[in-house]
Amino acid sequence: MTKFIIRRVLSLIPTMFIIVTLSFFLIRFAPGGPFSSEKKLPEQVLQNILKKYHMDEPLGKQYLRYMGDILKGDLGPSYRYKDQTVTELIKQTMPNSILLGSIALGLAVFFGVGVGIISALKQNRWQDYMAMSLAVVGISVPLFVIGPILQLVFAMKLHLLPTSGWITGRAGILALIMPAFTLSFPYFAYIARLSRGSVLEVLRSDYIRTARAKGLKESVVVAKHVLKGAMLPVVSYLGPAFAGIITGSVVVETVFVVPGVGKIFVQSALNRDYTLIMGDIIVYSLILVAMNFVVDIVYGFLDPRIAYK
Amino acid sequence: MTDEVILQVKDLKTYFHVDEGIVKAVDGVSFNLRKGETLGIVGESGSGKSVTNLSIINMIPNPPGRIAGGEVLFHGADLLKMPVKDLRSIRGNKISMIFQDPMTSLNPFLRISTQMVETIVLHQGLDKKAAKAKAIEMLKLAGIPAPEKRIDQYPHQFSGGMRQRVMIAMGLSCNPEILIADEPTSALDVTIQAQILDLMKDLTARLGTAVILITHSLGVVAGMCDTLCVMYAGRVVERGATGEIFAEPKHPYTQGLIKSVPRLDQAQGDRLRSIRGQPPNVIDLPDCCPFYPRCDKAMDICKRKYPATTEYGNGRAVSCWLYTEAK
Amino acid sequence: MSPKKNQAVNEFNQQVKPVSLWADAWKRLRKNKMALFGLWVVGIYVTVSLAAPILPLYDFSSQELTHVNLPPSLKPAGQVALQRLQKRIAELEAAGGFREDLKSDLVSAKAEYERLTAEISTKPVHQRVYILGTDYLGRDMLARTIYGGRISIMIGLVGTITAVLIGIVIGSIAGYVGGRTDNFLMRFVDILYGLPYMLVVIILMSLVPEGTNSIVILFVAIAALSWLTIARVVRGQIMSLKNAEFVEAARSMGAGSGRIIFRHLLPNTLGVIIIFATLQLPSFIMNESFLSFLGLGVSAPSASWGTLVSEGVQGMELYPWRLLVPAIAMTLFLFAMNFLGDGLRDALDPQSKNRT
Ligand SMILES: Nc1ncnc2c1ncn2[C@@H]1O[C@H](COP(=O)(O)OP(=O)(O)O)[C@@H](O)[C@H]1O
Ligand code: SF4
Ligand SMILES: [Mg+2]
Repeated sequence: MTKFIIRRVLSLIPTMFIIVTLSFFLIRFAPGGPFSSEKKLPEQVLQNILKKYHMDEPLGKQYLRYMGDILKGDLGPSYRYKDQTVTELIKQTMPNSILLGSIALGLAVFFGVGVGIISALKQNRWQDYMAMSLAVVGISVPLFVIGPILQLVFAMKLHLLPTSGWITGRAGILALIMPAFTLSFPYFAYIARLSRGSVLEVLRSDYIRTARAKGLKESVVVAKHVLKGAMLPVVSYLGPAFAGIITGSVVVETVFVVPGVGKIFVQSALNRDYTLIMGDIIVYSLILVAMNFVVDIVYGFLDPRIAYK
Repeated sequence: MTDEVILQVKDLKTYFHVDEGIVKAVDGVSFNLRKGETLGIVGESGSGKSVTNLSIINMIPNPPGRIAGGEVLFHGADLLKMPVKDLRSIRGNKISMIFQDPMTSLNPFLRISTQMVETIVLHQGLDKKAAKAKAIEMLKLAGIPAPEKRIDQYPHQFSGGMRQRVMIAMGLSCNPEILIADEPTSALDVTIQAQILDLMKDLTARLGTAVILITHSLGVVAGMCDTLCVMYAGRVVERGATGEIFAEPKHPYTQGLIKSVPRLDQAQGDRLRSIRGQPPNVIDLPDCCPFYPRCDKAMDICKRKYPATTEYGNGRAVSCWLYTEAK
Repeated sequence: MSPKKNQAVNEFNQQVKPVSLWADAWKRLRKNKMALFGLWVVGIYVTVSLAAPILPLYDFSSQELTHVNLPPSLKPAGQVALQRLQKRIAELEAAGGFREDLKSDLVSAKAEYERLTAEISTKPVHQRVYILGTDYLGRDMLARTIYGGRISIMIGLVGTITAVLIGIVIGSIAGYVGGRTDNFLMRFVDILYGLPYMLVVIILMSLVPEGTNSIVILFVAIAALSWLTIARVVRGQIMSLKNAEFVEAARSMGAGSGRIIFRHLLPNTLGVIIIFATLQLPSFIMNESFLSFLGLGVSAPSASWGTLVSEGVQGMELYPWRLLVPAIAMTLFLFAMNFLGDGLRDALDPQSKNRT
């Protein structure tokens, strides 16, 4: 087990190396630099700026310098947010995004699995129809529609919740409710459908027939024999779900003005703030890779057939 | 084997409502099982053997299935009308089941110990420790080497034959009166089949358990069973003592089945004969003998009406127009 | 009752209806009310989108400054605007003659009122009826939503077709050739699968020089990363069919690989391809509008549903129809597509009915 973990961690290094290298060169060769959209600068000023950011050096040297900096945890200065380094920007925004994302994922898993199981156990009854219609709504309605509509209803019309802002502001924890529910909704929907399907599949399996033939109560059959196997697909979906939540948080943070990575990510893309984009890519890939790693381990715990080799 | 009848199945009917129509998977099946008896149910795949036995412990998936009629009397009490709670105290306790595919019949996510102990604790009222000791004893009886160690393993760590031994140990762990074995060896290697059958025969004889052995192979039945039911398209077409049926099969289908069994004493060059044609799809069958398209002796009436059952006493009976007139 | 000669009969002389996969699927689909509803809605949307240029719609891009932010109404626009001015004048007068800053507002409102009364009967624009209201530049929301839908649906269609084609090619190669090629391709697919690909698209969009036609880039960017599922599915199907008897037969008769793939294997995977294409289309539209919402997608003067929603979000407290009209139009379509997709899957692949 320990060996497996060490090997998995080591295998992350080349993956990260490739991601960083690829994005470095992709971005350097992209047309239109970070300063191209500003007013035409005098030649001398431009030279100074390029010099300041070491962009006048040969590409190889820039690359080595960047790699060295990254190892030191320095992601360079932001081209746009003057006087702030990318590391600082990410450090300020990351905790907010992680908080929002984890709450959303937690809500999605909790309600998704619950609703999915109920749906499966009440297959083709009204509970099932209700739950699955709600799930189709969740899958069909884009985040940037749900978000504003929730704002319109709960903040502007009913005045129950703050329109936007963050927990550090006046609204406190209330400010988290709408963004977290909005972000979790599509993944709730997907997880509900997924767990319904997999519970139904397990319910039809031979070993459930055995458990029933042994005289076990239906509640014991479900709790002890069905759930573990049925949750495996949900666990493997957590990786993609997290990737999705990261993507979704870009919209949700924009709509609800949450000071998170997603928001500065969009801005960095709109502004072509290349060092910031790179920093975001690196951080996002790290999170994703770490998440998939956790999912693998949880999966292994649930499924005894998986041997860590 | 005594004469005390412990299970009576009377005119059992189990139908499935599917898109294409009504599947009469079991349509008027009757038989008796006596204490300690081994009863074989034979028939081609799809003839309704498994459905019959799931109906006995009232475990037909509904929908699409429905038990449309009949009685299953266990010591005189109708299992089909019993409250679920009472029925559960019989399942796995007085009547237990072993299924065809040992690879999928055990829960892959739980240790063997968990799966065996839960049954023993549930029905025998033992505490977990005593139940585990009992489980280990059963595994030893079932011929599993080093059961103290293996009991804590997961099903995937056992071979197919070993898993079926585990299933047998689990099935017999509460000392049931009836063990229903649904094709227990069909999914196993030929060499292991005989071992498993011997084990079942040996253990059930020792414990005095009555057995309903479902199989599609007459070869299996011959050495194991006291009595036989031959099923075709959801009905029992012939039943009686195994020896009598082998000696003098009456129904053309039984005759065909017996002719198709390979025999050691068969003369060289005698070709094995299999029954021509396919077993029917039992959706919306008209009133007729369902065997007539494949029957060499089919008559006009066979196409119009299902033959009544002719009883010969001693549990011997046949449903075929050839014998109704003779009577 | 003797069955007709050309009708199939089983051994019991019962008529057996010939069941073709497609007829059977259609029968199942017709029983599924939600799927039928989906089919109807999608049909209506597609018809309206195609017919938009010949429908009696106002120009979706012409701005009419006196008609800014008019609410949905069945009355002529001139009257609606007049009523609104009257209300405003009344409000301003009530708010008091004391406040200096409101005085100039009142004056200009009154002047506007005079002007509008004068020209209301002469200018034909004021006879327009905006049943779904107007936006912040006085453009007809109905026309904008329909034309926005045209663009969204078109992007969805072209993207889906591209993705399906790429997916079919790569999936068939991987499934048919197998071995190392398969291994390599599927590894590649696995890696891409793990990416939050909309973020990759965002980065790609930010790399494109400003001023390029962003719709084209959007097509390419989304399609380039959406063929993964189809490729996996097609590969699986082809692998399971590859050694089927009818393929062996074709091969023994000297059919080449290309012929086997196109004549024998792909037609048999058509069902799954249709299912996935139907489910892919709404996700395309969502992704496109996601980018447009962020300002990285379709750019003015073109508009997609995403752009309209993002415009509507500004000022939604005062002018909620500007958000609700495109939001509902879009959601209804996505809804219908998803129901249709689910229905098609249940109909074409009944075993999958109880999966997700
Ligand atoms: N869950 C079910 N739904 C529909 N039909 C079923 C179901 N289970 C069994 N059947 C039908 O009942 C008939 C008898 O099946 P079964 O008892 O399993 O045959 P076997 O004799 O091989 O055990 C078959 O035609 C089968 O199609
Ligand atoms: S009833 Fe007729 S068709 Fe059926 S087995 Fe007897 S002879 Fe054959
Ligand atoms: Mg069976």
